[in-house]
Order: sequence, then structure tokens, then C-alpha cells
Amino acid sequence: MHSWWAMKNLRAMKSSAVMTFRQNVFDMFIIFGVLIQPLLIATLALWMIGDRVSEAIIFIVVGSGMTGLWTNLLFESGNSITQERWTGTLEMITATPTPISVIVFGKNLANVSQSLGSMFVCYSLVSWVFGYQVSIQQPLLFILSLGMTVIAFICFGLIISPIFLLNPSVQRWQNALEYPVYILCGFLFPIALLPDWTTPFSYLLPPYWAARALHGASSGGTSPSDIGFSLLMLVVFSILSLLISQILFRIMLRKVREDATLGLQ
Amino acid sequence: MNKLRLNLRLFFQGAYLSYIALFRWLQPVNYIATKVVNPLNQILFFSFLGRFATDSRDPTFFVIGNSVLMTALSGIFGVTMSIGGDRWEGTLPYLFGTPANRMAMIVGRAFFHIFDGMLGVFLGFGWGVLLLGLDLSQADPLALIVTILITTISTSGLGLLLGCFSLITRNTFFINNTVYFLLLLFSGANIPLGSLPPLMRSISDFLPLTRGIAAARSIIAGGNLVQVLPALANELLLGVIYTLLGYVMFRWFETQAKRRGTLEAI
Repeated sequence: MHSWWAMKNLRAMKSSAVMTFRQNVFDMFIIFGVLIQPLLIATLALWMIGDRVSEAIIFIVVGSGMTGLWTNLLFESGNSITQERWTGTLEMITATPTPISVIVFGKNLANVSQSLGSMFVCYSLVSWVFGYQVSIQQPLLFILSLGMTVIAFICFGLIISPIFLLNPSVQRWQNALEYPVYILCGFLFPIALLPDWTTPFSYLLPPYWAARALHGASSGGTSPSDIGFSLLMLVVFSILSLLISQILFRIMLRKVREDATLGLQ
Repeated sequence: MNKLRLNLRLFFQGAYLSYIALFRWLQPVNYIATKVVNPLNQILFFSFLGRFATDSRDPTFFVIGNSVLMTALSGIFGVTMSIGGDRWEGTLPYLFGTPANRMAMIVGRAFFHIFDGMLGVFLGFGWGVLLLGLDLSQADPLALIVTILITTISTSGLGLLLGCFSLITRNTFFINNTVYFLLLLFSGANIPLGSLPPLMRSISDFLPLTRGIAAARSIIAGGNLVQVLPALANELLLGVIYTLLGYVMFRWFETQAKRRGTLEAI
């Protein structure tokens, strides 16, 4: 019985992911967030660093790629339920026996997987266009970190989307939430540059631990145990995000049904 | 005389209505998030990135560059969305159906954004003084205001040109965001122009903001208006050229949209 239920949900998740992937491929806003913006940020960082660039090249590739991951998560996964509302399909999705969190998980899976393209284009830019030698110091740990980053981002996205739907006033701050995560999570510079009081905020953000693991594995100079700790934090945050998101989805569905705002445009 | 009065009314009414419609009838939270907090975030990000990149503790270069760049939020995004808004809201056919003066109509869309853009720059400087130690004590206030006004006008000229694309494409945000990031890259806001490869540097010469940012830096360092006047004259000329190009394209798109029956296509 349970395995049948799990298979059904997995099939729904896969369909949701495939559908989202197809919708995203030709969406110019997503192309900008995933490909163009990280490329331009990487170019900016390369020229800003100037002569010392060879020391920081992999840091720039990974950091710029992460900006694409976060931007896409914030705008696409953040809007994943709201978009269904705009297109008038939210009623149908909530009426199906498949939990809405499964559908949104599939959407986030497509969004975050596509966002990995950011890192690839940044690598291509510095390697093929600028001709720098790019090497990853601990490839296995890097792949493991990348996998955990994808899972943690998907789970974090599960919290963002119901919050945006429940609180339109929070969603109005969407644009203003892009740079703070770039800053607090140390995508392109170490958080040691920031005032000490900001550090606890960094620790509370899963993208910080993702950046720490990926930078550590790619740039070297970080012990495997330190990277392991970052990965452990990603696991903890993923589980927490899943638990919190279940509560948020329940509150959201109850509220939109009570207020009769399920199909509100 | 009557025609002039009509055109002036059209100019100011169009300017006012398109501006307040943009922020969904002036909901303060939209404005604060977009025009107050977001600029602070950008200034902080590039100042810290600059500190990391240059090993310098003084973020003044990045604070001034990114503060002046704030004019592009109004000049490019605001102006473009004001023009494109007519298409999205379905009012474009009515607009093109009137015999109204097109120059007054299109330039009016930029009018309030010029002042709004100037306010954005001052807010950026304010954040810089409060949080990042920007020193404005050497700056001649009048020269700085003139510099910011001219830079905002020229940026809005580019916004008018880009706004015309919103009449024929749905990908307005793609175009706007790409141009905004190209300005981050090529205007000298974050990278000294001398550090850019020669080909890239030549692109900077054709962009608004390049001269405005350089002039603002010079004035804040203690320079006077006379010293930066040639650069500001060129900046203004560039703005006028972009505005005229925008007007020509607006007329061309109007003709094309009427001929093809794509006025309401979204």
C-alpha cells in the first residue's frame, strides 16, 4: 500500500519536474537568471580582482554560479504556487489526491537542476573565453557537496513558496532578498569581511553551508572534516525545511480554502 | 497657443498617471523595497566585493559608482515599464488612436522618473555616508546636483529607447536586466575604465552614466563644475540622442503595430 502511494507520488513529482523544465527552457527571465546574470557577475568579479585573479578563479566560478542558483530559487521556486494561482490551475492541483508539496518539490527539482547551468556557464567563461586553468581540489567532495546543495535548495524552496503565497507583503520584498543572500552566504567574498553581528544570520541560511562546502571542496585549504560538517548542516537544514514546509503547506491550504482565495488572481 | 497648452497637459497628465500606476497606486512597501532597500543591498554587495577584490578598506569608489547607478533603476526599469505598461494594461490602442503629440507622450513617461532617479542617487549617497564612511565634505552640492540631474536625464533617454522594445516584445525584463548588468560592467561603477580591455572601454563611451559617474567622483573628491562641464555636456548630448532614437522607434513601432494588427498582442 505504502509503496504504491510512494510510486504514485514519485510519478507526480516527475511529471511536475518535466513540465516545469519544459516551461522554463524558453523562458527568457529564467535564461537571464541562470545564464546571463551569473556570467556578467563572474566577468565583473574577474575584472575587479584584476592581477590576483588566478588565485581566486575557482572561487569566482563557484560563487557566481551560486548567485544563479539563489536567484532562480528565489524567483522561480518562490513563485511556484503563485504562478499556478495566476494561471488558474491551483484549484485543480489542490483538488488532486497528490499532496501539493509533492508537486512543488518536483517544480523545485526542475528549477534547481536547471540552475546548475549557472556554474557550467561560469566555468566555460573563465576557462574557454578568458583561458584560465580551472581545477577542483577535491572533486569527489565537490560532487557530493553539489548533490547536497541541490537537495538543500529544493527543500529551502519548499518553505519560500507557501510563505510568499500566505504573505503577499513578504513577496513584495522578493527583489530586495537577492543581494542579502549573496552577501550573508559568502558567495563571492568571505563572510569574515562582514561585521561580526551578521554571522549568526549566515549560519541560519542553508545557502551559506552550501557555499562553504562547495568553496571548501573546490578551492582547497579546507579539511574534509570541515566540509563534512557543512554537509551535515545541509542535511539538518533540509530535514528542518521539509518539516516546516509541511506545516506551512497545511496552514496555506486551510487559509486559502477558508478565505475562498484559492483562485484569486 | 492652445496646442501648446494641450501638449503640456498631455505631458504632465501622462507623466503623473504612468508614474503612479507603476507602483500600483503608490503602495509604499513596493516603493521602499524597490527603491530604498534594494539599492542599499547592491551598494553593500559591490562594496564588500570591491574590498575583497582590491584589498582596500576604502569602499568610496564602489559607493559612488553604485549610488549614481541607482538612477538606472528609475531611468531604465521605471521608464521602460511606464511605456510597456500601456501594452500590458491594454491601453495602447487607445493611446495610438488619439491624435496626441507623440513626443510629449513619450518624453512625459520619463519625467517623474528623472526626479525619482535623482532621489535614488541621494539615497545611495545617504546609505554610503551612514554605513560605509562616504565623505561628502569636499563636494560642491550644486555641482553634484547638476551632475546627477544630467546623468539621470541621459539614463532616462536610454530607458525611452529600451521602452520602445516593450511595444514589440514580451521579454522586457530580459532586455532591461541585461542592459542594467552591462551598465554595472561597463559604466565604470565598479571597474576603473582603465582596467577594461580597449574594446570594452570603447563600449563605455556610448553608454550613459560613464561620464556621469566619473564626474560625480571628481566632484566628491573636491573638483568643481567647470572641470566636469565638458563630460556633462557629452553625457547630456548622449541622452538627447537616445531620446530622439527612442522617439523615432516609437513612431516606427506604432506604424508597424497598426499595419500588422499587433497592438494588443501580449
